[in-house]
Amino acid sequence: MAGSAFRESFRPWVWAAFAVATAAAIVLCVSLGSVRVPFVDATREVWLALTGRPAGDAKVWSIVVSVRFPRVLVAGLMGAALSVCGCAMQGLLKNPLADGTTLGVSSGAGLGAIVAIVFGVQVPGLPLAGTTIMAAAFAFLSLLVILTLAYRLDRSLSSNTIILLGVIYSMFVASISSILVTFAGDKARTILFWTMGSLASTNYGNAALLAVALLAFGGVLLTKRRELNAFAVGEDNALHIGVDVKRTKLVVLICVSALTGICVSVGGTIGFVGLVTPHMVRFLVGPNHLRLMPAVIFGGAIFLMLCDLAARTLLSPRELPIGVVTSLIGAILFVNIFTAARRKGK
Amino acid sequence: MKHKSPLAAAALVLAVLLAMLTLSACGSGTDADADTTAPAGGIALVDQTGRDVILAAPATKTVALAASDAEILYALGAGGTVVGRGEYCDWPSEVLDVPAVSSGAETNIEQIIALEPELVFMNTMAQTPEQVEQLEAAGIAVYSSDAKTIEETYSSIRDFGTLTGKEAEAEGIIETMKATFDAATADKVDGGTIYFEVSPLEWGLWAAGSGTFMNEAAELVGLTNVFADLEGYAEVSEEQVIERNPDYILTITMYYGEGLQPVEELLQRPGWETVAAIQNQAIIELPNNELSRPGPRLAEGVQALSDFVHGR
Repeated sequence: MAGSAFRESFRPWVWAAFAVATAAAIVLCVSLGSVRVPFVDATREVWLALTGRPAGDAKVWSIVVSVRFPRVLVAGLMGAALSVCGCAMQGLLKNPLADGTTLGVSSGAGLGAIVAIVFGVQVPGLPLAGTTIMAAAFAFLSLLVILTLAYRLDRSLSSNTIILLGVIYSMFVASISSILVTFAGDKARTILFWTMGSLASTNYGNAALLAVALLAFGGVLLTKRRELNAFAVGEDNALHIGVDVKRTKLVVLICVSALTGICVSVGGTIGFVGLVTPHMVRFLVGPNHLRLMPAVIFGGAIFLMLCDLAARTLLSPRELPIGVVTSLIGAILFVNIFTAARRKGK
Repeated sequence: MKHKSPLAAAALVLAVLLAMLTLSACGSGTDADADTTAPAGGIALVDQTGRDVILAAPATKTVALAASDAEILYALGAGGTVVGRGEYCDWPSEVLDVPAVSSGAETNIEQIIALEPELVFMNTMAQTPEQVEQLEAAGIAVYSSDAKTIEETYSSIRDFGTLTGKEAEAEGIIETMKATFDAATADKVDGGTIYFEVSPLEWGLWAAGSGTFMNEAAELVGLTNVFADLEGYAEVSEEQVIERNPDYILTITMYYGEGLQPVEELLQRPGWETVAAIQNQAIIELPNNELSRPGPRLAEGVQALSDFVHGR
């Protein structure tokens, strides 16, 4: 990653603080869970696994290394990916309410996955690729549809227009999904998963996929931080200071759709993460994307890992759907942030 | 408090009115119970929600909305009376030839009235009291079942028999079921635990807890449900299954034509290697709702579970 830009934005100790906070969240989430495992045992098994040695205690290994650790990794990576997407969209559209959920991109990705399931879209040799690719493609199409409509109605892309269109589009997609469910019969339950979101069956394979996607698409998004700063002032401003507006937009949209689509294909639609974390992080580090974007990656990871921890432990041995937790916590935080921001403005 | 008195007075009046209404409603309910006298040669009984069901004669045209309703009617030999079925009725296969109507929240009363049944069977799980009222207003008798235990299932089979003139057949079915359960109980295994998987890992694990037919089946054959501490069906953590280490796993998951078969998928789950049932491959599949519907096939389910734990 471009070192000079980073040094310009954060001092090394800030990076260290982010890393320590994220590591602390990982340790917390791996040592706590539905089943109580002593901290020492949990860390020992993880350490044995990381150093490539066999299990010390088979049961603890099963719970911590095989089930809990990959899930924590997936939650962290997904939180980072969804948040960096939300942050990029908020900057690009100069709109604080932009995010995969409010723009209808997540529901679009979900619809793509549903279409893949109902019509049996499969890529030979790759078991899950059909749903993943369809989810990403539909995420991109959804974004295109919404933004085209928004531009036609209101070139300034005001919050009202975008949110209204996003809500309408989500409803439209939901009704199409319902129609598909009617014809899906036995597959209806699978479809419910895409609309609810769940991290229950995630494994190291999912974590690897997300890590690669985050490195690739998240990396590209990080290279567009200066352009996003220009967009945040205004699209005309970006044009005037020599930003290739069309190209930047296309690159950001493709990266956001691909990342959102991959996240949806792994964990279903998990709402509010991409909307809320950029706001929380912006409170801490300010609106400059040079600082904001990398900070959001850490913040998003920590936020979703902690939400998943709540989902796993609050009602133990029962489990809460992760989307319920993120929406609940997200909505409350969001209202707080909004009222705080307004008070500040007065 | 005082300056709010007009509002408080209004609230009080409203409360009193409501109370009177409720009381009078209860009163009329008990009156009706007392008056439950069947017309000459007719049938009168109280359904599982406490409502009276009155028929002039055994029903010859019925609609079965819940899947278990259709199963009971066909088992009784009253399948010929079924002129309409809920869309999820799928057993026995003959029922699929009967016209389907929407059920549950989408129940279309017009569709049912158009079939001109004398009696509609429905389940409180899926249907609402408003739907019952609409049907009764159209002059159609309604029997609501709410069986949550094997004992309550007997009583609904008995009622179904009475309402369709198949009393003897009903007693026969109940006797057969009882014989199966008694045999399974006599054959009880000495301890052992079981985990009932209702939905596969991909969509979040759902397990059957206490108050389910699966829990009752486990008790009959001498097993303990590892999730007996949970009420009804519940989404559980994978970690909990590994921790509770069941000796047996029963999955009612269906195969959807993609990926691994349910048992294969269970066997390859990362982290489950330490579970006794996985190590011994002690997994049974019952994908045809034998142990989830309050009907005669509960006996088949218990029989299958008993055979399985005895290695038959």
